[in-house]
Amino acid sequence: MPDPTPMEIPMTQVACTVNGEAFTRDVPVDSPLLEFLRDVLGLTGTKGACLEGECGSCTVLVDGETINSCLMLAAQANNRSITTIEGLASGAELDVIQDSFVATGAAQCGYCTPGLIMSARALLNDRPDISETELLTALEGNICRCTGYASIIEAVKRAHRESQSS
Amino acid sequence: MFHQPMTFKQALELRSELGADATVINGGTDVVVAMNHGAIKPTCFLDLSGINAIRKIDRDNGHLILGAGVTFAQLGKLHVRTLKEASLSVGGPAIRNMGTIGGNIATASPAGDGCVALLALGADVQLSSKDRGQRWIPLVDYFIDYRKTALADDELIQAVRIPYNPRSRWYKIGKRGAVNISLVCCAVSQNEDKKTQLAFGCVGPIPRTAPKASALLNGETLSAELIDDVANLVAQEVSPIDDQRGSAAYRRAMCSTLTKRLLTQLMEDNPKGDADA
Repeated sequence: MPDPTPMEIPMTQVACTVNGEAFTRDVPVDSPLLEFLRDVLGLTGTKGACLEGECGSCTVLVDGETINSCLMLAAQANNRSITTIEGLASGAELDVIQDSFVATGAAQCGYCTPGLIMSARALLNDRPDISETELLTALEGNICRCTGYASIIEAVKRAHRESQSS
Repeated sequence: MFHQPMTFKQALELRSELGADATVINGGTDVVVAMNHGAIKPTCFLDLSGINAIRKIDRDNGHLILGAGVTFAQLGKLHVRTLKEASLSVGGPAIRNMGTIGGNIATASPAGDGCVALLALGADVQLSSKDRGQRWIPLVDYFIDYRKTALADDELIQAVRIPYNPRSRWYKIGKRGAVNISLVCCAVSQNEDKKTQLAFGCVGPIPRTAPKASALLNGETLSAELIDDVANLVAQEVSPIDDQRGSAAYRRAMCSTLTKRLLTQLMEDNPKGDADA
């Protein structure tokens, strides 16, 4: 995050939809979307780590496409629709990808998990049929520092099978 | 202030009014990284991400016209091989959904993969201002020195124009397979008159062409001998430096290797061009 500066940071209004709910808030013009989601809306499922687009832990969907929320300004989300990890489950019923991560034991420390699940969600939203290469490409921007990739990939494959058979 | 114009005309008016006081932002993958690193602390933004008109890809007389706001994800679906592969080598999917070709050109990093591919393709860039209108300049003349460009304080990048090149190739060397910054990268392309152009990233202060080596190639039928001569000349022409990613000597050697590899691929290709061009 930018260091606090003595200079007054101007505010601007952002009106956006997050997980289906409309919000209008004043935000500092230089505030990343990640900060808005976590600190203003309290949606702390989305994680921040590298703050330079290398790790993918802050991945959310904006109008259905994955983006790194550490690199989009909150003000740029004006009039856009955002989905975070909190928006996937319906009540107590987990999204099929979340369910698969649990079933496969695909989380170790868990820090990368929300970002990975959002990348997988975008992939499964996009395509009914996916190749191994497409799957690996869809996840290439998400780093698991515990290096638990085998079970993560298995979880996404399982979710894909489940969503096709249902 | 946060300015989010919905039309390019409004953006040019704001650019004319605000000049260098407003930080121009679109995908944010360079600007916000610099902010997060504390390198810049902008308080006024001119955000181009709401302008749909610059996110389009058009065809005009055999040329491809890319709006400045076209993302790497969009470019990854094109059939211009060097640009497609360069674009798919940028970041991960989220970065490619955000980062734009106009931003890549504006940042003017010597490691700008999109810029290298466009240089090999002989692209022109359209710079526009409210008061002075639009001008097209060859992209090769746009890059002046390290992060110094021909873009004036009242101008915005509006579009990129790519001539038809039936055959092109791309290769990037980096330290890992994904989310990979170039250590050295090379693009080659050949137009219908068999004019062949070479371009390189990370071997000097700007993304660059190799005019002397490309001149050797002009109009000539590719042969193993000619390719060797060109590869040797390339090594003399580039000016890489040592940095944390690799040594100058390695980069120089790889420029020759990649030149040889990509030109050999062109030589051995279907003479009618890439199947998907």
